[in-house]
Amino acid sequence: MAKISYRQALNDALHLEMARDPKVIMMGEDLTGGAGANGVKDAWGGPFGVTRGLLGAFGPERVRDTPISETAFVGAAAGAALTGMRPIAELMFVDFAGVCLDQIVNQIAKFRYMFGGHARTPLVIRATFGAGTRSAAQHTQAFYPVFTHFPGLKVVIPSNPYDAKGLLLQAIRDDDPVIFLENKMLYDMVGEVPDGAYTVPFGEARVVRDGSDVLLIAFGRMVQVAEEAARKLASEGVSACVIDPRTTSPLDEDTLLEFTEEIGRVVIIDEANPRCGMASDISALLADKCFHALKAPIKMVTAPHCPVPYAPNLEDAYVPNADAVIKAVKSII
Amino acid sequence: MSIEAITIPKWGMTMTEGLLAEWLVAVGDRIERGQEVMEVESTKTTNAVESPVSGIVRRIVVPEGDTAAVGALVAVVADASTSDEDIDAFIAQFASANKQENGEETGAVASRKIDVGNGKVVNALTIGPESDSTVVLLHGFGGDLSTWMFNQDAFAKNFRVVVLDLPGHGASTPISEGNVLVALTDAVEKAVASVANGKLHLVAHSFGGAVAAALAERKGEAVASITLLAPVGLSASMNKQFLDDFVAAERRRPLKEVLERLFADPSTISNDMVEATLQFKRLEGVPQALGAIKDLIANEQGQVQSITATLREFKGPVQLIWGESDQVVPVPTQSEVPQNVTLNTLPGVGHMPQMESTTEVNRLVLENIAKAK
Repeated sequence: MAKISYRQALNDALHLEMARDPKVIMMGEDLTGGAGANGVKDAWGGPFGVTRGLLGAFGPERVRDTPISETAFVGAAAGAALTGMRPIAELMFVDFAGVCLDQIVNQIAKFRYMFGGHARTPLVIRATFGAGTRSAAQHTQAFYPVFTHFPGLKVVIPSNPYDAKGLLLQAIRDDDPVIFLENKMLYDMVGEVPDGAYTVPFGEARVVRDGSDVLLIAFGRMVQVAEEAARKLASEGVSACVIDPRTTSPLDEDTLLEFTEEIGRVVIIDEANPRCGMASDISALLADKCFHALKAPIKMVTAPHCPVPYAPNLEDAYVPNADAVIKAVKSII
Repeated sequence: MSIEAITIPKWGMTMTEGLLAEWLVAVGDRIERGQEVMEVESTKTTNAVESPVSGIVRRIVVPEGDTAAVGALVAVVADASTSDEDIDAFIAQFASANKQENGEETGAVASRKIDVGNGKVVNALTIGPESDSTVVLLHGFGGDLSTWMFNQDAFAKNFRVVVLDLPGHGASTPISEGNVLVALTDAVEKAVASVANGKLHLVAHSFGGAVAAALAERKGEAVASITLLAPVGLSASMNKQFLDDFVAAERRRPLKEVLERLFADPSTISNDMVEATLQFKRLEGVPQALGAIKDLIANEQGQVQSITATLREFKGPVQLIWGESDQVVPVPTQSEVPQNVTLNTLPGVGHMPQMESTTEVNRLVLENIAKAK
């Protein structure tokens, strides 16, 4: 098995699936270097290097640069999906979902329901999210709790290269709309990834690390933070289990409940703001269905209730880190 | 007795160091060969390590919770009359010898893909010195070459050892079309021919036993000995439900429950093992290949393969190793075992003797190899 980056794993998935299925098309801003621009095509491989080589392999009909209008191209992708294509729309930053929220939550998420199950919307909206890149408050939000709120959307947050490839292939083959969120800070993360195609099912948590004293639940980049905390805790004699649910919708409730029953102490790490986030959502689930098994209050380690700061020292303080997780663990053991 | 070393074992290709999770013995304890002395944790698995020697634990060099390189000295075993000075000298000498070898001995070993024609590859790991015969290790249904991670180094002390991923397993190309057993044997034969020297000692587990028998049939006298661990093909009885459930399981929980049936002690199955098996089962072409092999092993009436005649007519030593608590392929009755074949049953062991009773299996395999002319 080769070791490749998260970025390359996503690129491999796009190449494999576009080669396999001619109905797969892509659209978004700067995917190939800018619509109508005279410069070198595909010089950057898209804004984050994820779409490199697709233009050369599949041509401008299938890999389409769009104007800077999320309303237009997300709407166009929704129509293409309804009429038989499998479009992948790329939002450069998930924060821009604001301008196409009607398409996403009122149209895309509702088609199957409002057409009595007769409409399929096999659409993937890929977007970057997350703090750490010094990109300020409008380009760094977590946003996944917003999408998770709406029935009709599947929400996927891969935390490593293996999952990035397998979950993206599953997302493209899925007949429902999928919001696929890539943490910008993970693009250079390297891991073992099989060469060929494979899919990782939605709603199936990964047990990242076995442990018996405390359960750490984390998504996306926060899985690394939880693992770092677990390693440090191990050297102090505390055995921490780490679970990555991989998708927030559907959520693998069974696995979360099974491990909470077994371990009884839980810390949830969430990069999103604390109100109405995944941490509070999962806390409510566990408190409701597993109250009898809890040996201590459920702890949440999240970003504060404020915009992502631009000042580097404040941005670093904003993102949950291993020390914060360790402090939370120590408060309940 | 001489002074003996207990070291960090090497399990699989990528292991370079191990964490000493727990000492099961203390300084001053008398231990027997095969007794579990410590728990070692690699990044992939945790296992109890059995002592390769009998004697008294004179010194523990690596304490619990410390990590040491593969091959590093962790404890010293000797008899009571050996002086402390001699033990200090042994530790010092071991440390300097290990330093010289470092990099080669403790580094990760890489497998490589062997082209076997028709666009197919067989993934193989070759270890051990050049020798005039080669030990070939074949895993069972749903496994891969890591099945032998606790055993391969014991054989590689004196022999060239070739460990294969069967087609449709690990990193080898799936085969699900045509006569699958013939195609599998073709691929294995080609891969072995390109890396093995001299006569072959075939060591195979479970379904790998059918492949080994087919290979022995073809290669005639080029095969010097056969050791089969809980092989298919000797009796009609078989836990077909295990095969069906293994192929059907697509998620962690049901797969874990299936894998637990492999071991006498179900707690052997870690979540990492489940995840690794899921990753393998998700690969394109693998479910079809597994389905095809499943049909080769058993149908509603029971086992499909028969290797009895092949074993009976084989001229070299043939040995069977079976866990008494095997829930997958039950131990055959004495009448089902040909007269020229030795059957060793191991108490408290399930379908994975090579992992559950490492030291004993290694000893039995080497004993059988030694019987070959």
